Amino acid sequence: MNRFQLFSTLAGVAAISVVVVSLAFADTGEKPAAKKLTGQELYAINCGRCHSERYATERTPAQWKTLMLHMRTRAQIPAAQAKEILKYLQEDAGK
Amino acid sequence: MKTYSLILTALTIGCVSALAVSDEDFQKMQQQIQDLQKAHQEDQQEIQRLKEQVGSTQKTTAETQQKVEAAEKKAEEAQQTAAAATPAATGPEARQNFMIVGDAEVQFGKTEGQHSAFELADFAPIFLFRATDKVLFEAGFDVILQNGTTGSHDSGSGNSVSLSFGTLDYVFNDYVTVVAGDMLLPLGTYSERAAGWLNKIPDSPLPRDVLPGAGVGLQLRGALPVGESGQAVTYAVYGVNGPSSTTNTSNAGDLDLGGNVGLTSGGNSANLHGSPSAGGRIGWFLPWRAHWDAELGVSGMSGTWNDGDNKQWSAFVFDGALHLSPNFELKGEYVNTWVESTDHGTFTPRGWWIQAGYKLAGLQLDLPLINSTELVARYDTKRDGIGTRTERYTLGYVYYITNTLWFEGDYEFVNCSDHSQANNNLVFQLSYGF
Repeated sequence: MNRFQLFSTLAGVAAISVVVVSLAFADTGEKPAAKKLTGQELYAINCGRCHSERYATERTPAQWKTLMLHMRTRAQIPAAQAKEILKYLQEDAGK
Repeated sequence: MKTYSLILTALTIGCVSALAVSDEDFQKMQQQIQDLQKAHQEDQQEIQRLKEQVGSTQKTTAETQQKVEAAEKKAEEAQQTAAAATPAATGPEARQNFMIVGDAEVQFGKTEGQHSAFELADFAPIFLFRATDKVLFEAGFDVILQNGTTGSHDSGSGNSVSLSFGTLDYVFNDYVTVVAGDMLLPLGTYSERAAGWLNKIPDSPLPRDVLPGAGVGLQLRGALPVGESGQAVTYAVYGVNGPSSTTNTSNAGDLDLGGNVGLTSGGNSANLHGSPSAGGRIGWFLPWRAHWDAELGVSGMSGTWNDGDNKQWSAFVFDGALHLSPNFELKGEYVNTWVESTDHGTFTPRGWWIQAGYKLAGLQLDLPLINSTELVARYDTKRDGIGTRTERYTLGYVYYITNTLWFEGDYEFVNCSDHSQANNNLVFQLSYGF
Protein backbone atom coordinates (compact mmCIF):
# COMPACT_ATOMS: atom_id res chain seq x y z
CA MET A 1 0.00 0.00 0.00
CA ASN A 2 1.55 3.29 -1.05
CA ARG A 3 1.14 6.56 0.83
CA PHE A 4 -1.77 7.72 -1.32
CA GLN A 5 -3.73 4.55 -0.71
CA LEU A 6 -2.95 4.72 2.99
CA PHE A 7 -3.98 8.36 3.19
CA SER A 8 -7.16 7.77 1.19
CA THR A 9 -8.10 4.87 3.42
CA LEU A 10 -7.54 6.91 6.57
CA ALA A 11 -9.51 9.83 5.13
CA GLY A 12 -12.37 7.52 4.22
CA VAL A 13 -12.45 5.97 7.67
CA ALA A 14 -12.38 9.41 9.26
CA ALA A 15 -15.24 10.63 7.07
CA ILE A 16 -17.40 7.61 7.83
CA SER A 17 -16.64 7.95 11.55
CA VAL A 18 -17.68 11.57 11.56
CA VAL A 19 -20.96 10.80 9.82
CA VAL A 20 -21.71 7.92 12.19
CA VAL A 21 -20.92 9.96 15.30
CA SER A 22 -23.00 12.88 14.08
CA LEU A 23 -25.95 10.65 13.28
CA ALA A 24 -25.64 9.13 16.74
CA PHE A 25 -25.78 12.56 18.34
CA ALA A 26 -28.73 13.52 16.14
CA ASP A 27 -30.69 10.42 17.09
CA THR A 28 -30.21 10.66 20.83
CA GLY A 29 -30.59 14.40 21.02
CA GLU A 30 -27.47 14.55 23.21
CA LYS A 31 -26.21 17.75 21.71
CA PRO A 32 -23.38 19.16 23.78
CA ALA A 33 -24.38 22.73 23.09
CA ALA A 34 -22.59 25.70 24.62
CA LYS A 35 -25.61 27.21 26.31
CA LYS A 36 -23.96 29.12 29.11
CA LEU A 37 -22.37 31.69 26.83
CA THR A 38 -24.57 34.40 25.37
CA GLY A 39 -24.80 35.13 21.67
CA GLN A 40 -22.83 38.30 22.19
CA GLU A 41 -20.02 36.43 23.95
CA LEU A 42 -19.95 33.73 21.29
CA TYR A 43 -19.86 36.40 18.61
CA ALA A 44 -16.80 38.00 20.22
CA ILE A 45 -15.11 34.62 20.71
CA ASN A 46 -15.67 33.20 17.24
CA CYS A 47 -15.76 36.17 14.91
CA GLY A 48 -13.15 38.44 16.42
CA ARG A 49 -10.34 35.94 16.02
CA CYS A 50 -10.29 36.31 12.23
CA HIS A 51 -11.64 39.74 11.38
CA SER A 52 -12.62 43.13 12.76
CA GLU A 53 -15.97 43.47 14.46
CA ARG A 54 -18.94 43.99 12.15
CA TYR A 55 -21.93 45.83 13.55
CA ALA A 56 -25.29 44.11 13.70
CA THR A 57 -26.92 47.10 12.04
CA GLU A 58 -24.84 46.61 8.87
CA ARG A 59 -27.11 43.79 7.63
CA THR A 60 -30.75 42.84 7.63
CA PRO A 61 -31.94 39.77 9.54
CA ALA A 62 -32.18 37.81 6.29
CA GLN A 63 -28.64 38.78 5.30
CA TRP A 64 -27.29 37.76 8.69
CA LYS A 65 -28.93 34.39 8.21
CA THR A 66 -27.15 33.95 4.88
CA LEU A 67 -23.85 35.17 6.29
CA MET A 68 -24.04 32.87 9.28
CA LEU A 69 -24.63 29.91 6.98
CA HIS A 70 -21.49 30.96 5.11
CA MET A 71 -19.41 31.60 8.24
CA ARG A 72 -20.61 28.50 10.02
CA THR A 73 -19.14 26.49 7.15
CA ARG A 74 -16.03 28.57 6.57
CA ALA A 75 -15.02 29.13 10.19
CA GLN A 76 -16.35 25.76 11.39
CA ILE A 77 -18.51 27.20 14.14
CA PRO A 78 -20.53 24.59 16.07
CA ALA A 79 -24.21 24.67 15.08
CA ALA A 80 -25.59 25.59 18.50
CA GLN A 81 -23.13 28.46 18.82
CA ALA A 82 -23.90 29.69 15.30
CA LYS A 83 -27.60 29.80 16.17
CA GLU A 84 -26.94 31.90 19.28
CA ILE A 85 -24.72 34.28 17.34
CA LEU A 86 -27.37 34.62 14.63
CA LYS A 87 -30.03 35.39 17.22
CA TYR A 88 -27.81 38.07 18.73
CA LEU A 89 -27.11 39.70 15.36
CA GLN A 90 -30.71 39.57 14.20
CA GLU A 91 -31.93 41.26 17.37
CA ASP A 92 -30.10 44.47 16.48
CA ALA A 93 -30.06 44.03 12.71
CA GLY A 94 -30.68 46.91 10.33
CA LYS A 95 -33.92 47.26 8.41
CA MET B 1 -73.85 78.58 61.38
CA LYS B 2 -71.17 80.92 62.49
CA THR B 3 -73.13 83.91 61.13
CA TYR B 4 -76.34 82.89 62.88
CA SER B 5 -74.51 82.48 66.15
CA LEU B 6 -73.08 85.92 65.85
CA ILE B 7 -76.53 87.41 65.13
CA LEU B 8 -78.15 85.63 68.09
CA THR B 9 -75.34 86.61 70.36
CA ALA B 10 -75.62 90.19 69.23
CA LEU B 11 -79.42 90.22 69.75
CA THR B 12 -79.09 88.69 73.21
CA ILE B 13 -76.47 91.13 74.22
CA GLY B 14 -78.60 93.90 72.72
CA CYS B 15 -81.75 92.85 74.68
CA VAL B 16 -79.92 92.40 77.91
CA SER B 17 -78.13 95.64 77.65
CA ALA B 18 -81.01 97.60 76.04
CA LEU B 19 -82.09 99.09 79.22
CA ALA B 20 -78.62 100.11 80.12
CA VAL B 21 -77.37 101.50 76.80
CA SER B 22 -77.84 104.93 75.41
CA ASP B 23 -79.50 105.72 72.06
CA GLU B 24 -76.13 106.24 70.50
CA ASP B 25 -74.93 102.82 71.53
CA PHE B 26 -78.19 101.25 70.41
CA GLN B 27 -77.78 102.74 66.94
CA LYS B 28 -74.22 101.41 66.75
CA MET B 29 -75.42 97.92 67.60
CA GLN B 30 -78.19 98.25 65.05
CA GLN B 31 -75.60 99.16 62.45
CA GLN B 32 -73.51 96.15 63.40
CA ILE B 33 -76.53 93.93 62.99
CA GLN B 34 -77.16 95.32 59.55
CA ASP B 35 -73.52 94.75 58.61
CA LEU B 36 -73.75 91.16 59.78
CA GLN B 37 -76.91 90.58 57.77
CA LYS B 38 -75.18 91.98 54.70
CA ALA B 39 -72.19 89.70 55.23
CA HIS B 40 -74.54 86.76 55.61
CA GLN B 41 -76.22 87.55 52.28
CA GLU B 42 -72.81 87.78 50.56
CA ASP B 43 -71.82 84.39 51.99
CA GLN B 44 -75.05 82.90 50.68
CA GLN B 45 -74.33 84.30 47.23
CA GLU B 46 -70.78 82.89 47.28
CA ILE B 47 -72.07 79.44 48.29
CA GLN B 48 -74.57 79.53 45.43
CA ARG B 49 -71.85 80.51 42.98
CA LEU B 50 -69.60 77.67 44.11
CA LYS B 51 -72.46 75.20 43.80
CA GLU B 52 -73.00 76.33 40.23
CA GLN B 53 -69.28 75.90 39.49
CA VAL B 54 -69.25 72.36 40.86
CA GLY B 55 -72.23 71.46 38.74
CA SER B 56 -70.57 72.87 35.65
CA THR B 57 -67.33 70.93 36.34
CA GLN B 58 -69.23 67.68 36.81
CA LYS B 59 -70.98 68.23 33.51
CA THR B 60 -67.68 68.90 31.72
CA THR B 61 -66.13 65.76 33.25
CA ALA B 62 -69.01 63.64 32.10
CA GLU B 63 -68.79 65.05 28.59
CA THR B 64 -65.02 64.43 28.46
CA GLN B 65 -65.47 60.86 29.63
CA GLN B 66 -68.01 60.28 26.89
CA LYS B 67 -65.59 61.67 24.31
CA VAL B 68 -62.77 59.40 25.59
CA GLU B 69 -65.00 56.35 25.42
CA ALA B 70 -66.00 57.28 21.88
CA ALA B 71 -62.34 57.72 20.85
CA GLU B 72 -61.40 54.37 22.38
CA LYS B 73 -64.20 52.69 20.49
CA LYS B 74 -63.05 54.28 17.24
CA ALA B 75 -59.40 53.19 17.87
CA GLU B 76 -60.49 49.65 18.53
CA GLU B 77 -62.53 49.63 15.32
CA ALA B 78 -59.53 51.05 13.43
CA GLN B 79 -57.25 48.32 14.82
CA GLN B 80 -59.67 45.63 13.81
CA THR B 81 -59.93 47.14 10.33
CA ALA B 82 -56.13 47.37 10.01
CA ALA B 83 -55.60 43.81 11.17
CA ALA B 84 -58.10 42.58 8.63
CA ALA B 85 -56.58 44.63 5.79
CA THR B 86 -52.79 44.13 6.42
CA PRO B 87 -51.10 41.24 4.58
CA ALA B 88 -49.08 38.70 6.60
CA ALA B 89 -46.15 41.05 7.30
CA THR B 90 -45.30 39.25 10.52
CA GLY B 91 -45.21 35.81 8.92
CA PRO B 92 -42.07 33.75 8.35
CA GLU B 93 -39.27 35.44 6.41
CA ALA B 94 -38.42 34.38 2.88
CA ARG B 95 -36.33 31.24 2.66
CA GLN B 96 -34.11 32.56 -0.11
CA ASN B 97 -31.66 35.40 0.02
CA PHE B 98 -28.92 36.73 -2.23
CA MET B 99 -26.15 39.03 -1.14
CA ILE B 100 -22.66 40.15 -2.03
CA VAL B 101 -19.78 40.48 0.39
CA GLY B 102 -16.07 40.63 -0.31
CA ASP B 103 -13.19 43.02 -0.40
CA ALA B 104 -11.24 45.40 -2.58
CA GLU B 105 -7.60 46.47 -2.54
CA VAL B 106 -5.30 48.96 -4.17
CA GLN B 107 -1.52 48.54 -3.85
CA PHE B 108 1.37 50.93 -4.29
CA GLY B 109 4.82 49.43 -4.19
CA LYS B 110 8.50 49.98 -4.64
CA THR B 111 10.80 47.04 -5.27
CA GLU B 112 14.52 47.52 -4.87
CA GLY B 113 16.09 48.31 -8.24
CA GLN B 114 12.74 49.19 -9.86
CA HIS B 115 10.53 52.25 -10.18
CA SER B 116 7.69 52.66 -7.74
CA ALA B 117 4.18 52.16 -9.06
CA PHE B 118 0.56 51.57 -8.31
CA GLU B 119 0.92 47.86 -8.84
CA LEU B 120 -2.47 46.32 -8.36
CA ALA B 121 -6.17 46.94 -8.04
CA ASP B 122 -8.27 44.02 -6.93
CA PHE B 123 -12.03 43.73 -6.59
CA ALA B 124 -12.95 40.43 -4.95
CA PRO B 125 -16.70 39.96 -4.56
CA ILE B 126 -18.19 36.87 -2.94
CA PHE B 127 -21.69 36.01 -4.13
CA LEU B 128 -23.82 34.21 -1.58
CA PHE B 129 -27.17 32.67 -2.46
CA ARG B 130 -29.10 30.97 0.34
CA ALA B 131 -31.51 28.61 -1.37
CA THR B 132 -32.88 27.14 1.86
CA ASP B 133 -31.85 27.12 5.49
CA LYS B 134 -29.51 24.24 4.65
CA VAL B 135 -28.27 25.06 1.15
CA LEU B 136 -25.86 27.85 0.25
CA PHE B 137 -24.13 28.60 -3.04
CA GLU B 138 -21.02 30.72 -2.74
CA ALA B 139 -18.63 31.98 -5.37
CA GLY B 140 -15.62 34.21 -4.87
CA PHE B 141 -14.05 36.09 -7.76
CA ASP B 142 -10.91 38.13 -8.19
CA VAL B 143 -11.06 40.93 -10.72
CA ILE B 144 -7.49 42.20 -10.94
CA LEU B 145 -5.72 44.94 -12.80
CA GLN B 146 -1.98 44.43 -12.46
CA ASN B 147 1.05 46.07 -14.00
CA GLY B 148 2.96 44.06 -16.57
CA THR B 149 5.13 41.36 -15.08
CA THR B 150 6.55 39.75 -18.20
CA GLY B 151 10.14 40.38 -17.15
CA SER B 152 10.92 42.16 -20.40
CA HIS B 153 9.91 45.65 -21.47
CA ASP B 154 6.16 45.85 -20.88
CA SER B 155 4.35 49.16 -20.98
CA GLY B 156 0.91 47.82 -20.26
CA SER B 157 -1.02 46.15 -17.55
CA GLY B 158 -2.99 42.97 -17.36
CA ASN B 159 -6.58 42.32 -16.47
CA SER B 160 -7.78 39.05 -15.11
CA VAL B 161 -10.98 37.62 -13.77
CA SER B 162 -10.64 34.39 -11.90
CA LEU B 163 -12.76 32.17 -9.72
CA SER B 164 -11.15 31.85 -6.29
CA PHE B 165 -13.76 29.36 -5.16
CA GLY B 166 -17.24 28.26 -6.10
CA THR B 167 -19.09 25.75 -3.95
CA LEU B 168 -22.42 24.33 -2.99
CA ASP B 169 -22.69 23.93 0.78
CA TYR B 170 -25.27 21.55 2.21
CA VAL B 171 -25.80 21.39 5.96
CA PHE B 172 -26.31 17.68 6.47
CA ASN B 173 -26.82 18.03 10.22
CA ASP B 174 -25.38 19.98 13.16
CA TYR B 175 -22.03 18.27 12.77
CA VAL B 176 -21.53 17.71 9.06
CA THR B 177 -21.62 20.14 6.15
CA VAL B 178 -21.03 18.85 2.65
CA VAL B 179 -19.04 21.21 0.43
CA ALA B 180 -18.81 20.46 -3.29
CA GLY B 181 -17.10 22.36 -6.08
CA ASP B 182 -13.99 24.46 -6.37
CA MET B 183 -13.06 24.89 -2.74
CA LEU B 184 -10.36 26.57 -0.72
CA LEU B 185 -8.28 23.77 0.73
CA PRO B 186 -7.93 23.51 4.50
CA LEU B 187 -4.18 22.99 4.37
CA GLY B 188 -3.45 25.10 7.41
CA THR B 189 -5.86 28.00 7.82
CA TYR B 190 -4.29 30.67 5.63
CA SER B 191 -6.17 29.96 2.39
CA GLU B 192 -9.55 30.19 4.07
CA ARG B 193 -8.70 33.37 5.98
CA ALA B 194 -6.64 35.33 3.48
CA ALA B 195 -9.02 37.97 2.17
CA GLY B 196 -7.41 41.38 1.74
CA TRP B 197 -9.07 42.90 4.78
CA LEU B 198 -8.32 39.85 6.96
CA ASN B 199 -4.65 39.46 6.18
CA LYS B 200 -2.67 42.11 8.01
CA ILE B 201 0.23 41.95 5.57
CA PRO B 202 -0.64 42.40 1.88
CA ASP B 203 1.21 39.42 0.44
CA SER B 204 1.08 35.73 1.32
CA PRO B 205 3.74 34.01 3.41
CA LEU B 206 6.44 32.40 1.27
CA PRO B 207 5.75 28.74 2.13
CA ARG B 208 2.19 29.07 0.81
CA ASP B 209 3.86 28.85 -2.63
CA VAL B 210 4.47 25.13 -2.14
CA LEU B 211 0.79 24.38 -1.42
CA PRO B 212 -2.30 24.45 -3.64
CA GLY B 213 -4.80 27.11 -2.57
CA ALA B 214 -7.92 25.47 -3.99
CA GLY B 215 -9.08 22.25 -5.55
CA VAL B 216 -12.14 20.81 -7.26
CA GLY B 217 -13.82 18.03 -5.37
CA LEU B 218 -15.97 17.09 -2.41
CA GLN B 219 -15.46 17.85 1.28
CA LEU B 220 -17.09 17.04 4.59
CA ARG B 221 -16.45 19.52 7.37
CA GLY B 222 -17.84 20.66 10.65
CA ALA B 223 -17.26 21.16 14.33
CA LEU B 224 -17.99 19.30 17.53
CA PRO B 225 -18.44 21.53 20.60
CA VAL B 226 -16.51 20.55 23.71
CA GLY B 227 -18.11 21.54 26.99
CA GLU B 228 -19.86 24.86 27.37
CA SER B 229 -16.99 27.31 27.21
CA GLY B 230 -16.89 27.71 23.45
CA GLN B 231 -14.26 25.01 22.83
CA ALA B 232 -14.59 23.01 19.64
CA VAL B 233 -12.86 20.28 17.72
CA THR B 234 -13.03 21.03 14.01
CA TYR B 235 -12.45 18.67 11.12
CA ALA B 236 -12.40 18.54 7.34
CA VAL B 237 -11.89 15.59 5.01
CA TYR B 238 -11.91 15.89 1.25
CA GLY B 239 -11.06 14.42 -2.10
CA VAL B 240 -10.02 16.69 -4.96
CA ASN B 241 -8.53 16.36 -8.42
CA GLY B 242 -5.17 17.34 -6.96
CA PRO B 243 -1.96 18.60 -8.56
CA SER B 244 -0.80 17.73 -12.04
CA SER B 245 2.07 18.14 -14.47
CA THR B 246 2.44 21.00 -16.92
CA THR B 247 3.93 18.56 -19.42
CA ASN B 248 3.70 14.85 -19.98
CA THR B 249 6.89 14.32 -17.98
CA SER B 250 7.47 14.26 -14.25
CA ASN B 251 10.49 16.48 -13.81
CA ALA B 252 10.60 18.71 -10.73
CA GLY B 253 9.85 21.86 -12.69
CA ASP B 254 6.69 20.41 -14.19
CA LEU B 255 4.68 20.25 -10.97
CA ASP B 256 1.45 22.26 -11.28
CA LEU B 257 -0.31 22.70 -7.95
CA GLY B 258 -3.18 24.48 -9.67
CA GLY B 259 -5.22 21.41 -10.32
CA ASN B 260 -5.54 18.20 -12.20
CA VAL B 261 -7.82 19.38 -14.96
CA GLY B 262 -6.47 20.11 -18.40
CA LEU B 263 -6.18 19.07 -22.00
CA THR B 264 -4.73 15.62 -22.58
CA SER B 265 -2.34 14.91 -25.42
CA GLY B 266 -5.27 13.30 -27.23
CA GLY B 267 -7.16 16.58 -27.13
CA ASN B 268 -9.63 15.48 -24.50
CA SER B 269 -10.63 17.83 -21.74
CA ALA B 270 -10.20 15.57 -18.77
CA ASN B 271 -8.09 14.92 -15.75
CA LEU B 272 -4.48 14.47 -16.76
CA HIS B 273 -4.11 11.48 -14.50
CA GLY B 274 -6.62 9.10 -13.03
CA SER B 275 -6.11 9.35 -9.28
CA PRO B 276 -7.57 12.11 -7.14
CA SER B 277 -5.85 13.45 -4.05
CA ALA B 278 -7.21 13.14 -0.55
CA GLY B 279 -6.65 15.31 2.47
CA GLY B 280 -7.97 16.58 5.72
CA ARG B 281 -7.45 18.78 8.74
CA ILE B 282 -8.28 18.43 12.39
CA GLY B 283 -8.14 21.41 14.70
CA TRP B 284 -8.76 22.36 18.28
CA PHE B 285 -10.08 25.78 19.24
CA LEU B 286 -9.70 26.69 22.90
CA PRO B 287 -11.08 30.06 24.05
CA TRP B 288 -10.65 31.22 27.65
CA ARG B 289 -12.93 34.17 27.09
CA ALA B 290 -13.62 36.63 24.31
CA HIS B 291 -10.38 37.58 22.52
CA TRP B 292 -8.30 35.17 24.60
CA ASP B 293 -7.89 31.89 22.75
CA ALA B 294 -5.58 29.37 21.14
CA GLU B 295 -6.07 27.28 18.02
CA LEU B 296 -3.96 24.35 16.85
CA GLY B 297 -4.38 22.27 13.73
CA VAL B 298 -2.71 19.57 11.68
CA SER B 299 -3.54 18.92 8.06
CA GLY B 300 -2.29 16.97 5.12
CA MET B 301 -2.96 15.98 1.55
CA SER B 302 -1.57 13.36 -0.79
CA GLY B 303 -2.00 12.14 -4.35
CA THR B 304 -0.22 11.45 -7.60
CA TRP B 305 0.64 14.38 -9.86
CA ASN B 306 2.14 13.16 -13.13
CA ASP B 307 0.36 11.85 -16.20
CA GLY B 308 1.86 8.43 -15.59
CA ASP B 309 0.04 8.39 -12.25
CA ASN B 310 3.08 7.03 -10.44
CA LYS B 311 4.71 10.07 -8.83
CA GLN B 312 3.43 11.10 -5.44
CA TRP B 313 2.90 14.57 -4.05
CA SER B 314 2.20 14.88 -0.32
CA ALA B 315 1.92 17.74 2.16
CA PHE B 316 1.86 18.20 5.91
CA VAL B 317 0.93 21.47 7.61
CA PHE B 318 0.90 22.42 11.26
CA ASP B 319 -0.90 25.65 12.10
CA GLY B 320 -1.32 27.62 15.30
CA ALA B 321 -2.83 30.89 16.47
CA LEU B 322 -2.90 32.67 19.80
CA HIS B 323 -4.86 35.71 20.95
CA LEU B 324 -4.01 37.33 24.28
CA SER B 325 -6.42 40.23 24.78
CA PRO B 326 -8.15 42.06 21.91
CA ASN B 327 -4.80 43.64 21.06
CA PHE B 328 -2.27 40.85 20.64
CA GLU B 329 -2.24 38.12 18.01
CA LEU B 330 0.37 35.52 17.11
CA LYS B 331 -0.06 32.95 14.36
CA GLY B 332 1.96 30.82 12.01
CA GLU B 333 2.30 27.64 10.00
CA TYR B 334 4.90 25.00 9.34
CA VAL B 335 4.70 23.44 5.88
CA ASN B 336 6.47 20.38 4.51
CA THR B 337 5.82 18.71 1.17
CA TRP B 338 7.29 15.69 -0.56
CA VAL B 339 7.47 15.48 -4.34
CA GLU B 340 8.59 12.43 -6.29
CA SER B 341 10.21 13.38 -9.59
CA THR B 342 12.20 11.88 -12.38
CA ASP B 343 15.11 14.29 -12.31
CA HIS B 344 15.49 15.05 -8.56
CA GLY B 345 14.11 11.94 -6.96
CA THR B 346 12.02 12.84 -3.93
CA PHE B 347 12.58 16.48 -3.00
CA THR B 348 10.97 18.45 -0.18
CA PRO B 349 9.72 22.01 -0.75
CA ARG B 350 9.04 23.39 2.72
CA GLY B 351 9.07 26.41 4.98
CA TRP B 352 7.41 28.16 7.87
CA TRP B 353 6.14 31.55 8.90
CA ILE B 354 5.19 33.34 12.06
CA GLN B 355 3.35 36.65 12.33
CA ALA B 356 2.60 38.91 15.28
CA GLY B 357 0.37 41.93 15.61
CA TYR B 358 -0.16 44.38 18.44
CA LYS B 359 -2.90 47.01 18.48
CA LEU B 360 -1.57 50.13 20.13
CA ALA B 361 -4.99 50.74 21.64
CA GLY B 362 -3.70 48.36 24.29
CA LEU B 363 -1.41 51.12 25.56
CA GLN B 364 -4.54 53.12 26.49
CA LEU B 365 -3.07 56.42 25.36
CA ASP B 366 -5.44 59.28 24.75
CA LEU B 367 -4.22 59.62 21.15
CA PRO B 368 -6.75 58.62 18.45
CA LEU B 369 -4.07 58.25 15.75
CA ILE B 370 -2.13 55.78 17.91
CA ASN B 371 -5.23 53.93 19.10
CA SER B 372 -6.21 53.17 15.49
CA THR B 373 -2.86 51.64 14.62
CA GLU B 374 -1.64 48.06 14.81
CA LEU B 375 2.02 47.14 14.46
CA VAL B 376 2.73 43.90 12.59
CA ALA B 377 5.82 41.79 12.01
CA ARG B 378 6.40 38.55 10.17
CA TYR B 379 9.21 36.14 9.48
CA ASP B 380 8.77 33.68 6.65
CA THR B 381 11.11 31.31 4.92
CA LYS B 382 10.91 28.80 2.09
CA ARG B 383 13.16 26.17 0.57
CA ASP B 384 12.12 24.96 -2.87
CA GLY B 385 13.81 21.61 -2.25
CA ILE B 386 16.12 21.87 -5.24
CA GLY B 387 18.61 24.41 -3.99
CA THR B 388 16.96 27.80 -3.52
CA ARG B 389 16.32 29.22 -0.07
CA THR B 390 14.46 32.47 0.56
CA GLU B 391 13.80 34.21 3.83
CA ARG B 392 12.03 37.47 4.55
CA TYR B 393 11.59 39.82 7.49
CA THR B 394 8.59 42.12 7.31
CA LEU B 395 7.81 45.10 9.51
CA GLY B 396 4.69 47.16 9.07
CA TYR B 397 1.50 48.65 10.36
CA VAL B 398 -2.23 48.61 9.84
CA TYR B 399 -4.07 51.89 10.30
CA TYR B 400 -7.77 51.27 10.89
CA ILE B 401 -9.65 54.12 9.22
CA THR B 402 -12.82 52.21 10.09
CA ASN B 403 -13.35 48.64 11.19
CA THR B 404 -13.29 47.50 7.55
CA LEU B 405 -11.22 50.18 5.82
CA TRP B 406 -7.51 49.73 6.39
CA PHE B 407 -4.39 51.50 5.24
CA GLU B 408 -1.43 49.15 5.50
CA GLY B 409 2.27 49.74 4.99
CA ASP B 410 5.12 47.22 5.12
CA TYR B 411 8.80 46.97 4.39
CA GLU B 412 10.16 43.55 3.50
CA PHE B 413 13.82 42.61 3.88
CA VAL B 414 14.48 39.71 1.50
CA ASN B 415 17.42 37.32 1.53
CA CYS B 416 17.71 34.66 -1.15
CA SER B 417 20.35 32.20 -2.25
CA ASP B 418 19.42 33.29 -5.77
CA HIS B 419 20.63 36.87 -5.51
CA SER B 420 18.48 38.01 -8.44
CA GLN B 421 15.45 37.47 -6.21
CA ALA B 422 16.88 39.15 -3.12
CA ASN B 423 15.12 42.48 -3.60
CA ASN B 424 13.64 44.37 -0.69
CA ASN B 425 10.09 45.68 -1.07
CA LEU B 426 8.07 48.59 0.19
CA VAL B 427 4.32 48.16 -0.19
CA PHE B 428 1.29 50.20 0.79
CA GLN B 429 -2.23 48.85 0.49
CA LEU B 430 -5.69 50.30 0.96
CA SER B 431 -8.11 47.50 1.82
CA TYR B 432 -11.84 47.51 2.22
CA GLY B 433 -14.04 44.66 3.36
CA PHE B 434 -17.72 44.80 2.53
